[in-house]
Amino acid sequence: MDYILEVEKLRKEFKNFTLDNISFKLEPGYIMGFIGPNGAGKSTTIKLIMNLLKKDGGSIKIFGKDHVKYEKEIKNRIGFVYDENYYYEDLTINSMKSIVASFYSNWDDNQFNKYMKEFDLNPKAKIKTLSKGMKMKFSLAVALSHNADFIIMDEPTSGLDPVFRREILDILYSVIQDERRSILFSTHITTDLEKIADYITFINKGKIVFSQSKDEILQNYAIVKGGLDILDQDKRREFIGLRETKVGFEALTDNMDKMRRMFGNKVLIERATLEDIMVYSVRG
Amino acid sequence: MLGTLKRDLLLMVSSKQVIILWLFYIPLLIFVVDSFVPEVLYYMIIVFYTYLASITSFSYDITGKSKYIMNSLPISRREVVLYRYLSTFIYFAITIVYAGIYLWIINALKLAHVDYFNLRAIVNAIPAVMISTSLVYPAFFRFEPRIARIVHMVVFMTFFVGLSNISMTGEKGILKYVSLLKWEHVMIIALVMYILSLILSMQIYKNRDI
Repeated sequence: MDYILEVEKLRKEFKNFTLDNISFKLEPGYIMGFIGPNGAGKSTTIKLIMNLLKKDGGSIKIFGKDHVKYEKEIKNRIGFVYDENYYYEDLTINSMKSIVASFYSNWDDNQFNKYMKEFDLNPKAKIKTLSKGMKMKFSLAVALSHNADFIIMDEPTSGLDPVFRREILDILYSVIQDERRSILFSTHITTDLEKIADYITFINKGKIVFSQSKDEILQNYAIVKGGLDILDQDKRREFIGLRETKVGFEALTDNMDKMRRMFGNKVLIERATLEDIMVYSVRG
Repeated sequence: MLGTLKRDLLLMVSSKQVIILWLFYIPLLIFVVDSFVPEVLYYMIIVFYTYLASITSFSYDITGKSKYIMNSLPISRREVVLYRYLSTFIYFAITIVYAGIYLWIINALKLAHVDYFNLRAIVNAIPAVMISTSLVYPAFFRFEPRIARIVHMVVFMTFFVGLSNISMTGEKGILKYVSLLKWEHVMIIALVMYILSLILSMQIYKNRDI
């Protein structure tokens, strides 16, 4: 199968952190949510994919090609949106656009102008005068105006209000309707992903916890709720994560059948959200 | 190359600090450098403006968070380095035009008597620009901006003080010894340094985390 992105046994060492043995794949036409707590290694992985950081081991292929050897060709087909505005604040939208456009062979001015109107952005406005949401929209307009086949987004919705976030998600959803494009979307706002992601890759402390289809994940994981009187040390160990309060416990499991056999009807088993999975997996 | 150059020029024009520097540095040099030879002042202006333009625009590649944007665009690291080294000569040409117009106006207004075009000074300025930038560029590609700026200041001050002294002593002092070196020899040294510096910067930048 042709993959848009193939990450194999990726490794990067820092003084106080190691990204270790990261592997996942993304097919054309899908959105992959890349989740994990702050400091888990999401941005590091994205920087490695973009060749902003040099890997210490493993391989990264984009469009089936080595991301360093074919860097220029690959980046011509990638749209990127980062968590902050990294554009030059003193420039106007138009000036910044003209700089960026000169690097891409497929730059589409009509498409960019269409997004400018849709996002209600003034091309003469200086970037430093834009709100965070507007800056994010500008980044998105740039990322979507050169016929990119792969969009990489690092926390694009963090710090944005729900209306803006929903707007961005709707745009991404429309982008993905063209089945040759894919999106890698890093975030810790997991509710965004429940709306649009097809696959979820969960990373914690520099290691992959899972990389699966969203439906599969939501089917496999569940929240178990019950009274403290039915817990003992052996049973506690059966959970991925457990939270005990004075009135009872809540725990995450990836084996519902076992839970039913173990507790019968003494517990309530509910569907876990991505946030539940992330929080319980991180806390243990 | 065009994209990088466009970025550099747009950023320079949009920065008040850079505009102020470009506007007032020539009068400052005319005021500070008490030269016996008008050619020397012209030479210094050409060297310093080219050097400053090159370093100012270079900082856009590697300082601040904008470096993530530039390095995410379809441009290889090899090209980033190569364009930086080539752009020195473009800034040299821009400086000749800018300084020529500026100094012509100063002469026309009879504010000072300075050369506004001197081919010999231009030719002599080429190795000076190449040597100074060949020392500073690898530092910017290798170190954090803070350390690279220290290297830049050391080179800048060395050249400034050195050239000022040469100009002050006129034909009698250091200039006499400097002029013992033929231009061709200096140019060969400059060329070797510039190429070695380019290769070194490419190696450094190829393996560096942004």
